[in-house]
Amino acid sequence: MKKSTTQTIFESTEGMTPECKEALRYLLLACADTKLLLGYHYGEWTFGPPEIEAAVAFCSLCQSELGHVRLLHALLTKHYKDDPEKLVESAKPEEFANISYLDNEIKSWPDIVAVNYVVDLAVTTLLLSMRNSSFKPLHMSLEKMLEEERYHIHHGQGWFRTLSKKSAETKQAIQKSAQNALVKVVEWFGPPDSEYDRVLVQAGIKSESSSEILDKYLSELGNLAASLGVDLGLSKANGTWRLNTTFEWDSWDPKTRRLTKTGPDPEILYHLRGSKNKVFKLS
Amino acid sequence: MDQDQVYEVFARKTHQETLQHVGSLNASDDELAKVYAWTMYDEEKWVEMCVIPRKSVIQVTHDSKIPLWGN
Repeated sequence: MKKSTTQTIFESTEGMTPECKEALRYLLLACADTKLLLGYHYGEWTFGPPEIEAAVAFCSLCQSELGHVRLLHALLTKHYKDDPEKLVESAKPEEFANISYLDNEIKSWPDIVAVNYVVDLAVTTLLLSMRNSSFKPLHMSLEKMLEEERYHIHHGQGWFRTLSKKSAETKQAIQKSAQNALVKVVEWFGPPDSEYDRVLVQAGIKSESSSEILDKYLSELGNLAASLGVDLGLSKANGTWRLNTTFEWDSWDPKTRRLTKTGPDPEILYHLRGSKNKVFKLS
Repeated sequence: MDQDQVYEVFARKTHQETLQHVGSLNASDDELAKVYAWTMYDEEKWVEMCVIPRKSVIQVTHDSKIPLWGN
């Protein structure tokens, strides 16, 4: 996608077209919702990993994801007058824009490894495309997030490699979990020619289009999986990895980044919400 | 599969200090060892942290014997 050579720098959302302003809000919400659910699942897996080091790592990953949610919510509060309380505490399940692989309990170790590698890497690759964002407040918050996300990627990759090499059984298990996660991630990235995406690239909020980011992401996953003999349901043609599953994008909602009106399990939302304990709040 | 191996963790809080041994951990490869060191020993703001596979450590003393030729 062509970009203008003299890019306007936005200190706030003032000066953005209404379309761009709305598209940016949707994108921030999608990243925040995904990170909120990532934090929840990482927190749950502070107990139960096969080794104590991984338990401590998930506790730390949980903390950093929740920190990133706070940073993103602060941007939404300041520039959109959104209320973080409402975004988390009273939103209906079908209003959440997280990657839908996180909608339900993550019950097995290969599933949480797929979350850590396949899902977490997707959000990080998207955020990476905004590292030099023309929306300055986002650009300022991203360095901390991306620095911490390096450890998330190493952890996810490390376990993906380990399970792929340990035995035929563990390889099959991680392959299945990663395939399931990947389909949901590609759904979240959305159609290749979304108007919402185009305005963000034109305004320099993102440096690459959604399909360019997806290409980069699939190349990272596809190359590692191929080197380990793991089939992720991808095919390589002309140097580019593509998901074998195709989608009909007509019903794709740019706000929730989903094809259907689904959302996180209400039981999960109940657990992660603090409003049920409001009576104990200190002030 | 890469078997878990023991890594020793070293870190320092300021550039004026020498590296100190802060602990050890188990990991199946170097990348995981780096993550585990960073997440397990995060009680300080280290200016430098490194991990060393224990198998790479060359023993100088054995069973409290003086490290002389023939011991």
